[in-house]
Amino acid sequence: MGIIARNIFRFIVLVLLQVLVLDNVMINGYMVPYVYLLFLLLMPFETPRWLQLVAGFLLGLSVDLFENTPGMHTAATVLVAFLRPHLLNLFAPRDGYEPETFPRVRYYGFYWFLKYTLAVVMIHHFALFYLEVFQLKDFFSTLLRVFLSSILSAATIVLSQFFVFRE
Amino acid sequence: MRTLLRLIQKYSNLLLFLFLEAIAIVLIVRGSYYQQSRFIQMNRQVTGFLYDRVDGVREYLTLRKVNQRLVEENSRLKNRLELFSGQLDTTRVLRVEKGAYRYYYLPARIVHNSVYKQYNYITIDKGKKDGVFRDMGVVSEQGLVGIVLESSNHFATVIPAINRDFRLSAKILSSNFAGILYWDGDSPLYARLSEIPFHAELTVGDTIVTSGYSAIFPDGIGVGTIDAFSLERGNFYDIRVKLFTEFQSLFHVNVIRNYLREEQLQLEENTR
Repeated sequence: MGIIARNIFRFIVLVLLQVLVLDNVMINGYMVPYVYLLFLLLMPFETPRWLQLVAGFLLGLSVDLFENTPGMHTAATVLVAFLRPHLLNLFAPRDGYEPETFPRVRYYGFYWFLKYTLAVVMIHHFALFYLEVFQLKDFFSTLLRVFLSSILSAATIVLSQFFVFRE
Repeated sequence: MRTLLRLIQKYSNLLLFLFLEAIAIVLIVRGSYYQQSRFIQMNRQVTGFLYDRVDGVREYLTLRKVNQRLVEENSRLKNRLELFSGQLDTTRVLRVEKGAYRYYYLPARIVHNSVYKQYNYITIDKGKKDGVFRDMGVVSEQGLVGIVLESSNHFATVIPAINRDFRLSAKILSSNFAGILYWDGDSPLYARLSEIPFHAELTVGDTIVTSGYSAIFPDGIGVGTIDAFSLERGNFYDIRVKLFTEFQSLFHVNVIRNYLREEQLQLEENTR
């Protein structure tokens, strides 16, 4: 499978998995693992930035459509898509990313992937949850939700690397 | 002009980012109108199709909850029925503080159940806080289950009909002869009914119901059917009763509260 086809396939599978299965998994009543971010995480290093932004936009929009939320996921994923190259630079190994590799556990190790995932997920959840409440009234309870959900999402994403989305 | 173009080129990604975020923000801000827009109508059709497929699975997964609700509804209906049967009884009208009915059904879930012991007990998830006290009757949708033995704040233990300490007055539906229902510790499917006098006419398959003498159960709750009988020392029948309730697969029960029990016991005490 070509790299584009593979990414499109991953996009569809992750969105469907998210809205049909994982959205029904509510832990403690408000923690949902947002695994669809995995699509953004696994996009190749060389993806043009505009394409990353557009892909992030489409990803968020699809999830929004299914969840009947107006634009919140879109805003959060576009933000993450915009920040991802900077995060990648921040976490880059000493001699940079090698060509022909992908942002995966296999190439850059478990700790690298965990750091990278946590950063992306945290930013995404932070944006998402605060847009959701749309006010700063419950600032700390929302913050707690951000942290707990981030841990859950990141753990699910990292684990999925070892079992399901190995390829 | 050229500098402007170069500027746009330089910041094209930032501009795209801001543009996409702007769309998202507009969506969020217009969120309240979102529901009515045509866009969502179309979207509903697509997602609706998918959700329809998934709903089958979800339905299966929530069967437990649905079941629970059905049991609750059942209790409500039984309560209403009780209310009406009080009104139909024209010889007297019952007025109790809790309403015009005598028996109240409270749904409960079994949290622990033993079947294969001699002294089996059931634990249910309703206790004193829900108004469950000693000597209240417990029934399932199939029929008689047992009697509440002890209750704590949130739980209660029940002596089921398949406990060797269990004793209850029961009668044969067709002839109204009453006897004592007990369990011989043999099989969880069968109980025994003794002290039915020898002149009663019995047939295999006759229905056994509660007698209502004990002030625990209302009259006529199903217990089981006659499976076999023999004359025991000439004067009384010993009857084997096939129980209606399947104790092995019991999950939801109803606890029966008799509002007039105190009054009845008081009167009987005074008369003695």
